[in-house]
Amino acid sequence: MNIVVCVKRVPMTQEVDLIIDEGKKGVREDELAYVINDWDNYAIEEAVLLQEKFGGTVTAVTIGDEEDEEVLRRALAMGADKSVRVDPGDRELDGFVVSGILAKVIRDLEFDLVLTGVQADDDNLGMVGIMLAEKLEVGHASVVVGVEPDGDSARVKVELEGGMDEVSNLRLPALLTVQTGINEPRYVSIMGIRKARKKELNVVGVEELGLSEEELTPMTRIEEVFLPPETDGAEMIEGDSSAVAEQILRIIREKGVGI
Amino acid sequence: MDFELSREQKDVRQAAREFALGELQDIAKDCDVNETFPRELITKAGELGFLGAFIDEEYGGAGFGFLEHAIILEEFWKIDPGLGQQLCSVSFGSEEFLLFGSEEQKLKFLPPIVEGKTMMGFAITEPDAGSDTLSASTHAVLEGDEYRINGSKVMIGNGTVGDFLLVFCLTDPDEKKKSKRHSILAVETDRAGYEADPMHGKMGLRASDTSSVFFSDVRVPKENLVGERGNGFSQLMAFFDRSRAYVSAHGVGLAQGALDLAVKHVKNRVQFGRKIGSFQATQFKVADMATKVEMARTMTHKACTLLDQGKGNTDITAMAKMFSGRTAVEVVDEALQLHGGYGYFNEQDVERFYRAAKVLEIYEGAKEIEKMIIGRNVIGRL
Amino acid sequence: MGEILVVVEHRQGEVREISKEMLFKAGEICRNASHELVAVVLADNAADNIVPEVAKMAERVLVFQDDRFNNFDSHLYREVLARLVRERNPFLTLMGHTSWGMDLAPALSIKSGYPLATDCVDIVIEDGRPSVVRQIYSGKLFSRVSFRESTGYLITVRPGAFLVPEEQPEVEGKTELHELYPDMAETGKEFLEFVDTGAGDVDITQADLLVSVGRGVGEEENIADVQELADVMGGTLSCSRPVVDKNWLPKYHQVGTSGKSVKPKVYFALGISGAFQHVAGIAGAGTVIAVNKDPKAPIFRVADYGVVADLFNVVSALKEKL
Repeated sequence: MNIVVCVKRVPMTQEVDLIIDEGKKGVREDELAYVINDWDNYAIEEAVLLQEKFGGTVTAVTIGDEEDEEVLRRALAMGADKSVRVDPGDRELDGFVVSGILAKVIRDLEFDLVLTGVQADDDNLGMVGIMLAEKLEVGHASVVVGVEPDGDSARVKVELEGGMDEVSNLRLPALLTVQTGINEPRYVSIMGIRKARKKELNVVGVEELGLSEEELTPMTRIEEVFLPPETDGAEMIEGDSSAVAEQILRIIREKGVGI
Repeated sequence: MDFELSREQKDVRQAAREFALGELQDIAKDCDVNETFPRELITKAGELGFLGAFIDEEYGGAGFGFLEHAIILEEFWKIDPGLGQQLCSVSFGSEEFLLFGSEEQKLKFLPPIVEGKTMMGFAITEPDAGSDTLSASTHAVLEGDEYRINGSKVMIGNGTVGDFLLVFCLTDPDEKKKSKRHSILAVETDRAGYEADPMHGKMGLRASDTSSVFFSDVRVPKENLVGERGNGFSQLMAFFDRSRAYVSAHGVGLAQGALDLAVKHVKNRVQFGRKIGSFQATQFKVADMATKVEMARTMTHKACTLLDQGKGNTDITAMAKMFSGRTAVEVVDEALQLHGGYGYFNEQDVERFYRAAKVLEIYEGAKEIEKMIIGRNVIGRL
Repeated sequence: MGEILVVVEHRQGEVREISKEMLFKAGEICRNASHELVAVVLADNAADNIVPEVAKMAERVLVFQDDRFNNFDSHLYREVLARLVRERNPFLTLMGHTSWGMDLAPALSIKSGYPLATDCVDIVIEDGRPSVVRQIYSGKLFSRVSFRESTGYLITVRPGAFLVPEEQPEVEGKTELHELYPDMAETGKEFLEFVDTGAGDVDITQADLLVSVGRGVGEEENIADVQELADVMGGTLSCSRPVVDKNWLPKYHQVGTSGKSVKPKVYFALGISGAFQHVAGIAGAGTVIAVNKDPKAPIFRVADYGVVADLFNVVSALKEKL
């Protein structure tokens, strides 16, 4: 079964100070470390697992500049067979434009399944995958926590709110946006990095794709980025472990929980 | 001259970093306190290719160079020196096979090391022979088709948990030249007469196995001789010329790890109404620390790169080893200082890094030895 | 005067809370801008249960009743709604930013040509155009987002962003039954079953005291440590998503949007960063006490009390005192 995985390189946000840039429409990127988007890592792993089971090729696709090839190399090292980077040049991107670019590239590939992450760590849009599915005119499901292909369809498990999963059969080809926890992504291995050296990494400029101006015009725009409103926040308890423990027990008893 | 790591090297670094964060971070403190490490860690690392990355592909290795090995070690030591030490130690000495071993030996001993299935050690040091390696008196006598080994070694990595050791033995005591009296023998630890005792109470690197080992009439087939009989010392020096280059990465990793901890601390700690990171004194300290780490890293990379290019330079390697050990000790000292009183408790990781650092100036080439090498080579024989 | 269309999300015959939140917010917008609030329900005969609920909050309820809507199918919804919006040209169409909403809204956007903004926590109308606020970088920052000019706009709403107040004036909405459109495209989805992942040996929603672990617990073996503490404190063990993702605890321990919402008297969070999906699950908690090594952890913004420390030191100290 042939699978396409869409991946994105995003800034690491855990335990990092994000500083709003001068234009107030984004963050200062100079000090940031970049990593694979967490959801996409699960998507790559799922694609590779399916390939190990059913055979076929896995192609990783990303939109970005040369530094973004890092996530393609990661996908290749984890087991993907080929990769494509689309260079967006100076184009302003939003979820709509990204999905259009991806659709153009992927339409020409043979696929049974397209996997994306539910959302990206930076913009948290959660829309590119399904827009892409609609443009590719394939069936789709979002927030997928399980996929079992079976002939020309797949048994798909979707995670709903409040501790409920929904199981359905979805006809292939289809696009699924993958939720964290669907699998346990493998570490990138040294052998994988070596093998990735010899795998295809094609680059194509967005202008070469022949998209219309309409398809390349963003539907939304960030006008301003700002810090969350200051709330009072927690009352901090100081002191050594023993003093802290005393305080905690006192608070809990005060609130009516008998210990 | 391109000072940047190649894309592939950056990928190697990132892979090692993620492994260290995922597998070392959470168990480090416990392993240090309990003087232990999980055996599965070695297997996991082996399966991913992190052990002996410099070993050739035909023996199961990644076929990378010492530079890539150093990059991996730096990432491990950044997260935990003790576990970093253990992960390095399992392949420590494998260069002997690559340089001097027979094809059979390479095919027999190397692949399981790379896969993490076996762990080796290099038994050189004795109670009366530390820097003075030529005084090693553990001896091996050829009797028929076997060598019979007697003696003891001390402070040997993986003496207890290892599957085999390379043992630096006195085999030709009557040789005129002192440097032609020793040989290197591979000794499987399950041989009769072999005993090992873990040495407890290490100040740092407590997660790694350090043991006293005893040989009482341990017999090994003569095929276990690695390289040439009587050539042990020069083979050992050739090994040091390589290992010291990547062992320098230990100091770089430890220093960088300590620096990272200190920076995180000073960005958050408030005293006198400000974050202490905003004081100029703090910034000056951190500047010095960062510069030293960068220098140690550059020297390490240079030493390893020269080796990988077949232009290994003993002086550069000695400088890297000496400087990175010193850097580690100095940087971690300042890092703990910046943590203040809290840094003195093992609740903070920097405490563990502090205890680990000192040995870097002692093992695998004491700094005095490195200075002797460098001084002698720069001035020349007088 | 335009129309604000709210797509009602319902499951197993019940109207989901997000639908009420959307109707509430849309109602506010409608009153300020003289729009009409229209709800649309796609259901099988569960409509009998659903529509009256919805009619209390919307002026007009459009109902498409068909057996094909026995369960949510984004492909069918997209088909119906695309034609509906073309007919009615609603100024604004709202859907929930839920698993189902995320499956529908982007597809509807492409099909209808209307621009879409997702996971919005605030909506304002300025100069006849909507402008939204949404979180980025996992909640660390907020952004104000504008749309390109269009005759209609799509927005998905974050659950919990617009809480419905206790006292709400009821409306008597008019119900309009609509015929399903002919020539609806085939859907490739076939619903099989629901699986209750929240059921298990322990019911965390009943506890007075929850001792909750997050990623900070480090490894599976350490959970036993915290379980011991929970036992000796008389509390129940719960956790955040990463712990379940790693299979360290079964799903029924999970607190959060995709887990359970809990209302204990005290929620004791150990090594939990405070991602909004988790925090959403403790909105009803009485007092939140958080322990985390990272002084910048978002949990400290929502907790009542906080401790910056290694959770294991706090756990040992507590055990000693008990």
